[in-house]
Parts: sequence; C-alpha cells; structure tokens
Amino acid sequence: MIKLLFKRLAQGALVVFVLETITFFLVRMLPGNPFLGERKLPQHVMEQLNALYGLDQSALVQYFNYWKNILTAGDFGPSLVREGLQVSDIIATAFPVSLWLGVLGMAIAIVVGIPAGMLSAWWKNRWPDTLLMFLAMLGICMPAFVIGPLFGKTLGMHVPGLSVAGWDNPLCAVLPALTLGLINAAYLARLTRGGMLEVLSQDFMRTARAKGAGAVRQLFVHALRSGLLPAVSYLGPAFAALITGSFVVETCFQVPGMGLHFVNATTDRDYFLIQGLVLCYGVLIVAANLVVDLALVALNPRLRSQGAA
Amino acid sequence: MNVRAIVTIALSCLLTACGERRSSAERFAESGILVVGNNSEPQSQDPHKATAVADGKIICTLLEGLVRPSPVQDGDVLPGTAERWEHNERADEWIFHLNRAAKWSDGTPLTARDFAYAYQRLLHPQFAGKYAEMLYPLLHAEQYNKGRCDWEQVGVKVIDDHTLQLTLSGPTPHLPRLLLHFTWFPVPAHRVEALGGMLDRRSLWTRPENWVGNGAYVIDAHRFNDYLSVRPNPLYLRAAEVKNRGVRFLPIVNGYTETRMYLGGKLHITNNVPPEMLAYARSEREQDFCRDPYYCTIFYRLNTTRPPLSDARVRRALHLAIDREALVNKVVRGAGVPTTTFTPPGAGYAVKAPAEPATQAEREDEARRLLAEAGFEGAKGFPVLELMTTSRDVQRVMAETIQAMWEQVLGIHVDIHSCEWTAYKAAQQNMEYDISSSSWSGDYLDPATFVELWRSGGGNNCTGWGSTECDSALAAARATGSADERRAHLQQAEECMLRELPILPLYHSERTYLRSNRHVSGWQPRLLDNFPLDAVEVKP
Repeated sequence: MIKLLFKRLAQGALVVFVLETITFFLVRMLPGNPFLGERKLPQHVMEQLNALYGLDQSALVQYFNYWKNILTAGDFGPSLVREGLQVSDIIATAFPVSLWLGVLGMAIAIVVGIPAGMLSAWWKNRWPDTLLMFLAMLGICMPAFVIGPLFGKTLGMHVPGLSVAGWDNPLCAVLPALTLGLINAAYLARLTRGGMLEVLSQDFMRTARAKGAGAVRQLFVHALRSGLLPAVSYLGPAFAALITGSFVVETCFQVPGMGLHFVNATTDRDYFLIQGLVLCYGVLIVAANLVVDLALVALNPRLRSQGAA
Repeated sequence: MNVRAIVTIALSCLLTACGERRSSAERFAESGILVVGNNSEPQSQDPHKATAVADGKIICTLLEGLVRPSPVQDGDVLPGTAERWEHNERADEWIFHLNRAAKWSDGTPLTARDFAYAYQRLLHPQFAGKYAEMLYPLLHAEQYNKGRCDWEQVGVKVIDDHTLQLTLSGPTPHLPRLLLHFTWFPVPAHRVEALGGMLDRRSLWTRPENWVGNGAYVIDAHRFNDYLSVRPNPLYLRAAEVKNRGVRFLPIVNGYTETRMYLGGKLHITNNVPPEMLAYARSEREQDFCRDPYYCTIFYRLNTTRPPLSDARVRRALHLAIDREALVNKVVRGAGVPTTTFTPPGAGYAVKAPAEPATQAEREDEARRLLAEAGFEGAKGFPVLELMTTSRDVQRVMAETIQAMWEQVLGIHVDIHSCEWTAYKAAQQNMEYDISSSSWSGDYLDPATFVELWRSGGGNNCTGWGSTECDSALAAARATGSADERRAHLQQAEECMLRELPILPLYHSERTYLRSNRHVSGWQPRLLDNFPLDAVEVKP
C-alpha cells in the first residue's frame, strides 16, 4: 500500500510538472499579451511593462525564473492584469468559495445520484428505472447555462430566502450547488446503475437471494461495495473539477469563485495567473485520483492483492 | 462546539433567511446604500494603473480632481479641489487655486504638490502608465514620458501649496472637461511614498486598509469578483452634500445575470441590458427601463493598406450597401441611432455627412455603380474578404447581417472570423485584418476624443489611412484658442475622413439599463455615463 502511495505520488508530481511546463510555453504562444487594451499602448510603454515583469526575456529564462521563485520564495508571481494582486492572493480568495460550492454540489450529487442509480438497477426495466434514467439523461443533456438561469428564474425569484444570484448570504450557495449537484447526480446515477446491474447479475447475488437475504441486505451489504466502483472512479476527478469552480455556474449566479478566473485569465493573457490556476487544478486532480485509487483498493480486495504483488 | 450546536446555528440561519421577505436591494436601500452593477472586476483603484470604464466609475467616487462634474447639466464643470481658476487669452496657461480646506481622508492637507506628484508619476518614463497619453496636452509631457527631457521642463508648476500652474502645448479651451478624467486626479504623495514609492507598480496603497483619498467616499471593503463598497469620507470638502450613505459596486460581467439580479431584487441600477433581453426587461419593469444616449460609436474599420479596400470607391460601395435602419432595429433591437458620421452628437458638436442618395434602394444602386467603376462589375474578380469580430453574440449577429447585405446588394462574399478579445485586439492593432468590427467611446466630453483618432499614424487609427487635409485641420484645431474655430476645424477633419471612409460608421450606441424608480432619485443620464454617485439619493 505504501509502495503504491509513493509510486502514485511520484507519477502525480511528474504529471503536474509536465502540465505546468506545457502550459507555460503554450500561453506564451497565444496571440496578444496581458497589456493589450481598448487603446493601443505606445511602444515605449509596452516595452517598459514587459521589462518590469520580466517578459522581455526569452521564454526559457522566464521559465527558469518562474520555478526559481516558486521553489525559493513560494512566489507564484503577480497578476499582470490586476496589478498589485499576487496570484496566491487571488487563489486564496476564490478557492474557499469554490471549495464550499463544490463540497455542497458533490454532496447533492452523491445523495441524489447514487440512490437513484441503485433504485434504477433494482427495478431494472420497470417504470421507476425508466423515469429515473429519463431524468438522468435530461440532467446530462441540459447544459448548466440552461439549468442555472432556469433555477434562478423559477426558484430564486419566488422562493423566500433563495437568491437569484450573488454571494451576500449563506443561502446564495443553494441554487449554484443544486445546479452543479444535479448535473453530476445524473452522471453518478447512470454509472451507479451500470455498476449495480453488473453486480446484481453475479452468482453470489443469486446465492444471497436464495439464502433469503432481503432487498436492503442484498443492495447495501452485498452489491453496493462492488457496484459503486465505476461511480467512485468518476467521483475523484469530478470532485476536483467541482471544487476548482465552474465558469458557467459562477457566471450565471455571480459567484466569486475560481471558475471565472480559468476563462478570464486565459482571455486576458494573465500568464502567471493561468499558471497558478493550472498548478492548483493539476495538484487537486492528482490528489483526487490518488484518493480514488486508494478508495478502489479499499473497496476491491483483488486490487489490494495486485498492489501487494 | 458539538454537532447539535452546529445544526442549531445552521437551522437558525436558514430560518432567518427564509423568514426574510425583503430583497437585498430593499435592505440596502433602508441603510441608504446604493447597489450598482459595474460590468467587471476593477483592474485597480489606482488612477495611474486603471484603464477600464468600470475602474473609472469607482475612482470617481474615491478621488476628486481640480474640477468635478455638475450633477445638473451634462458637460458643465464645477469647482472640485480647486475653488477657482483662470487662464490666459490663448488658453494654454492655466492657474488653479486650490481650496485651502481640502484634506486627504487621513487628515493630511491636500496641496498642489500632490497634483504635481500625480502627474509626474503617470508620465514618468519608468512607471509605464498605460493612460499617460491623456496628459500629453501638458507642455513637453510626451517628451518626458518618452525619456527625452527632464520633469522640470514639463508644464506643471507648483507656485505654492495652494496654487498650481499648468502650461499646455497649445490652446486648450476644453481643459476643464479633460480634467474630469481620472488620469488628472491627484494621488496622496505621502501615502504612495510610504508604501513603495512613486514607481512601484505593485504598491498596495489602494488596498482598503491603506486607502487614502480626497473624494466623496473611501473604500470600505473589497472582495475580489464579489463587490467593492465605499462609505462616505467625513473629511471630503462637501461631505454634507453627499446624498447617500455608500455605494456597493457589483462586478457583473454577464448582462443576463445582471438583469436577472435586478429583477430578483439585488440591484438598484444595472450597467447594461443586453439587446436580446430588452423586450423582456421592458415588459417586466417598464417604469424602470432606461435608454440614454451614450458617447460611443459602433463602426467597422477597413484596412486601407490592402486591396481592394485601398480604393475609396470600394469602401464607399460597402458603406452604401449597409441598411443601417434594419441593422439597428432588428439586430441591436433599437439600442442605437443609425449613423453615417463618426462623432456622436453632443458637447455642442455635430458634423454633416457627405451627401448621399436619399433612399436605401438608391444607395444600393449607387453602391453597385461604384463597385463596377472600381473594376468589379457584378462583383466579378472581387476577392473574398475577412470580417473580424469579437465573440460577443451581438457582434457576431451584426456581422452575419452585414455579410448578407453585401452578398445581396453587391454580390460579394466576406468570411466572418470571430475571435476572442485579446486575439482580436492584437490583430486589429497590428492591422492583421481586412474588416474589423470596432467601437470607440469618448474619454471626455469633447469631439477631439473621436476626431483625433484619424490623425495619420495615430496609435488607435489602425486603418492605415491618413490624409494631409485631415492632419492639417487637426493641427489647426490644436493651435487655436477659439472654441468656435476649433469646432470648425474638427468638423473639417471629420468631413475629410468621411469622404474617404477608412471606416464604416454604423450606429451611435445607446445605454440600456434598469434603474429602480422606487429606490433611486436624483439620477440623470450622462453621455459619458459619469453621473456623480454622491448626488444620488437612495430611498427605502
């Protein structure tokens, strides 16, 4: 287990390093620069700004300086568009918002999606299955930019306490979390159903039924552990994506989270912010995958023996 | 804290929130706080680093220049930090007498040195001020900004603590209107020096905890991408005249979200209702719906260095083939005024477009004739041009409409290239385009902010077009101290440009937004959308 952990950590560090390196050079190949505005800047001003932030040096020198600053001073660089703000400040302000929203969204997804998938599998090809899978398909097909405003218009404007958009009271998180949660619940429901169907048709389940196990015992004691494997594999990256924010949901509900930065930093060519966000996202994805790997090992004894081998 | 306590607190919060029937706009109105949509997260509250309109709106509440805008009449200026001023006959030497009672919000006296310090900072060759050009009317300012002379040679002189002399490179009778722009505002020299110095672009002096200003408000709180709130500055010169108890700016980029937030009781004034939502917003809140003229023109730039757009007849043919009435009514849904001129009317200036056929059918005939005259009879041999737009919905639909008009009337085809904003600006500024959708909004209420664009080789010209006649008229406008003569020269320059048409003017923009009649009073529309927010009353 420990060996597996270290192996995965080493792989994760390599992935993050390669991801950050590719991003570094790719963003600098995009047309334009962070200082472009509505009005054209005089050449001498552009040169001064480039010199100030070290962008007048070769990409390779910039790359080494970037890593040097991170490793020696923990400095992820300044925002080139919102001067005076550090990348770490921006992430530190936005991440807790996205984290809170992501945790709520994931909780909704799990509470709704997994039971829906289980029930659907239990009542395979009967009307609850058809209804639940129709709803799941609807959730998968409807984009967040449709569901979000729909919730805002129907619930936000008419249910007391709920907010159409904004982030000025705790209940403002309800609708964006519901939007994020239900979309992921739809995926989870289908994955859980698939996993459960496979398990329910296994011989050991027939044996359990023959021995007189009730529905609850069959589902929760015998089937759930193996039936959840596909859903658990999905949960890791989905959780990392959720807690790093969604541009669409944050725009629809005016949430000051990380998702907005992912898109805006790219369109603004805010190089250091893009790199900081990619680094943050990369580390979270690697961490989430690591947790999923460990969870899968815990759930599936066969993987444990493979890991030991 | 045990689980029961956490659950109790959470439930109490939930019940309190559910029991709250008032909208947040109502709650803020009861506290006398104005909540406004402000388009985007501000880049900075430092007047020397900010460039966006959204930044300007906030800075104008936090800092005050030598003069301030009149809340009564658009374009009029009132004494601000300066209580009076005078100028010589040529209007190229101005003396401002500062109000002796003027103080920064930390109690430090505000002196003429703060203004001189601010101007030197923005123009300093090592500061890299993006908007330094705004101060170029000052004598030798451009040379200093480019490192070609010393600060002592620049036309800014502190006569004493309360007297500032500005010497300009030419007659500038419209200087007071220029001074309304935030680039001319002072900065607290003592604060800037204490927190990094004049040239430190990363200085944190604008953070709420460090903020010192001389405007009607000081920064109260700022949560990135969430809100920026300001509260009254008790040491403001006219603190007793401030009509509300603060302003909360919400950086809402998306017009749909903003409109929904207004309808859901989250805002008192929105920044913008997108064209697609105009009918809906109007039907929901007829009494709150506003449509005001805006000092902005929407137009297409033509790259005149590339054939066949280098031929003025081709450019005019493209110009005549556009049915602007249809464009404004169907695409922009009425949020604009069709135009064939460039500078929007206002500030006592209007220009006559060159004579054109009266009806659209006649215009189209003339367009076909001009195209044939240019050697493209029936569009034969006309190359496929590329029309570059941003990825904004309205821009793309407008491009598709004009593409169809040209195809129908002239038989020519253009490809639409929609790109994200920075790539679009880079291509436009490097002139890597054929036709580019563009807009221009005035920095100050004066036609020069539009007409000066067409100076040969001007940084924002970006069409490759230039004309000696236009340049001479602009030079003559800069050289005269008479407002009437200046206006006539500017008209001559614009008429010259309109004869050659390096651009296709489409419409003068209008601002469409929602404003709560119930909670807001004293608001008046402004061409530059710069109504002083301290004059807005907020009613419960």
